[in-house]
Amino acid sequence: MLVIDDEPQILRLLTITLEANGYRVATASGGQEGIASAAQHRHDVIILDLGLPDLNGVSLLKQLREWTQTPVIILTVQDSESDKIEALDSGADDYVTKPFKTGELLARLRATLRRSDKGNTEEPILRFGALTVDLAARRITRNGEPVKLTATEYALLRLFVQHAGKVLTHRHILREVWGPEHEQQTEYLRVYVARLRERLEPDPESPVLLLTEPGVGYRFAET
Amino acid sequence: MNAIALRPKTVWGEYAVALGVFVGASLLNLWLQKWTGYQAIALVNLLAVVLLALFVGRGAILFGTTLTAFGWDFLFAPPRFSFHVAGFYDKMMLFTYFVVALTVGQLTARLRAQRESEIKSKLLAESERLSRTLLNSVSHELRTPISAITGAASGLRESGGLSVVQQKLVVEIETASGRLNRVVQSLLSAARIQSGQLHPKLDWCDVRDVLRAALRETAELTEGHPLETTIPAGLPLVKMDFVLMEQALANLVANAATHTPPKTPIDVTVRITPAKLVLEVGDRGPGLPPDQLDRIFDLFHRTPRAKPGGTGLGLAIVKGFIEAHGGRVQAANRSGGGALFRIVLPATNPPKLPDESS
Repeated sequence: MLVIDDEPQILRLLTITLEANGYRVATASGGQEGIASAAQHRHDVIILDLGLPDLNGVSLLKQLREWTQTPVIILTVQDSESDKIEALDSGADDYVTKPFKTGELLARLRATLRRSDKGNTEEPILRFGALTVDLAARRITRNGEPVKLTATEYALLRLFVQHAGKVLTHRHILREVWGPEHEQQTEYLRVYVARLRERLEPDPESPVLLLTEPGVGYRFAET
Repeated sequence: MNAIALRPKTVWGEYAVALGVFVGASLLNLWLQKWTGYQAIALVNLLAVVLLALFVGRGAILFGTTLTAFGWDFLFAPPRFSFHVAGFYDKMMLFTYFVVALTVGQLTARLRAQRESEIKSKLLAESERLSRTLLNSVSHELRTPISAITGAASGLRESGGLSVVQQKLVVEIETASGRLNRVVQSLLSAARIQSGQLHPKLDWCDVRDVLRAALRETAELTEGHPLETTIPAGLPLVKMDFVLMEQALANLVANAATHTPPKTPIDVTVRITPAKLVLEVGDRGPGLPPDQLDRIFDLFHRTPRAKPGGTGLGLAIVKGFIEAHGGRVQAANRSGGGALFRIVLPATNPPKLPDESS
């Protein structure tokens, strides 16, 4: 994997931790160097700090996405929701907010790698605890009982389960489910997410399936 | 630039300058009139008014114009030392003088005001840019070592193979770096509020979701306090900045958990009326000293009997975030003991959603 960060100490720390967990790590301390390394070697995943001195992290991400689909996990700081959103909309796969615990980074890393391994092998039947979603038959059951959803509710759920484990930004979801002209209509999303929770969550008051990512979007729990 | 530097500080100063210019011009004219005759004197006055306009505001220009016009009439135009204007020619002269002097003066003043406001907004933008850069670099310099400490300590703990004592010590490092991170976060939030760089991103939000996020964030602190939340069924969406409101609520809950004895309950209540959303965080602790109720939200203010630790930033941040939403926050003592913090936010009718049948 490749780690791009301008802070030598963070680079050292990540290298030590990741190698101790069995990953092979290449490092780059700047954007140009990172692009060069990504072009020369095949990395399974790229960890990218958004605050690089020589190249804005998001523009680096856009450059990478012009020719590679290698998963990218963003490192970012608190109070930077707009950066996170922009990075996710530009093709980042996930983000971790600094300061982070090693376990958190490793969990995100494993989930991202798992998703990219699965690739586009589309499973028609997905299970999330007591919830089963059969995409081929458009059938949803909870504890074996069928659940009825409206067309929009179903479209929203399908988007979520197809990207289970991944953060989806408000804009992305709105564009996919309601169309580009409704990108700003967060209210649609809030209402429909509440309805889906009402129908699907074991306890709608403390959701475990459809999780809120404050200020950024939603994440559906992994299978 | 010069014109601004020379501009009198007060309105009265401007009128004094206008009076001074009138007296100066009149003295000069008394000397000049031997050679020029009384009509050319008006041109000297006109010059004086135009120069005056470079330095003073509109009121003072009008004042100067009036003074020089009547001064000319009284001191120089025949019959001298009387306000009577003799012929049609002089009447015409006086009228034209007044109009020309006033127009030129006002135009000059307007140009200058434009230039001044341009400079002011440039200075403002510059100082905002500077403080933003400073904030960003301070934030980066503080957070990078904290990230390294947190990452290294958690990595050490998770690597296993530590003795019980080592394990305990590592947990102490993690707890301390977590606390340090919260302090840095609070300082940065307070700095953002103080420098006017808080721009809430207002969106329709599900208040239950915001509250859940705040309670999740404070879960560690509220452990051991029974938590009761009261939320009306069918609560409509309310426009707010999700992250800022979550932070404000989390600060209030954390505050309640920190300043009350273990096992005392904390209640969070949500109420809605057509015009406003009310969020209350109440505790059953010792309550607040009555003379502190107004000052408790001030930056760095701490009540005399507050426990050691804490920065005096939390409540000031709550106030800053809520006021940025056009809302307000109050503190009170509850009947039956304990403190109550109330956030009131303006609420408008939520938008209608397109209908859909299943």
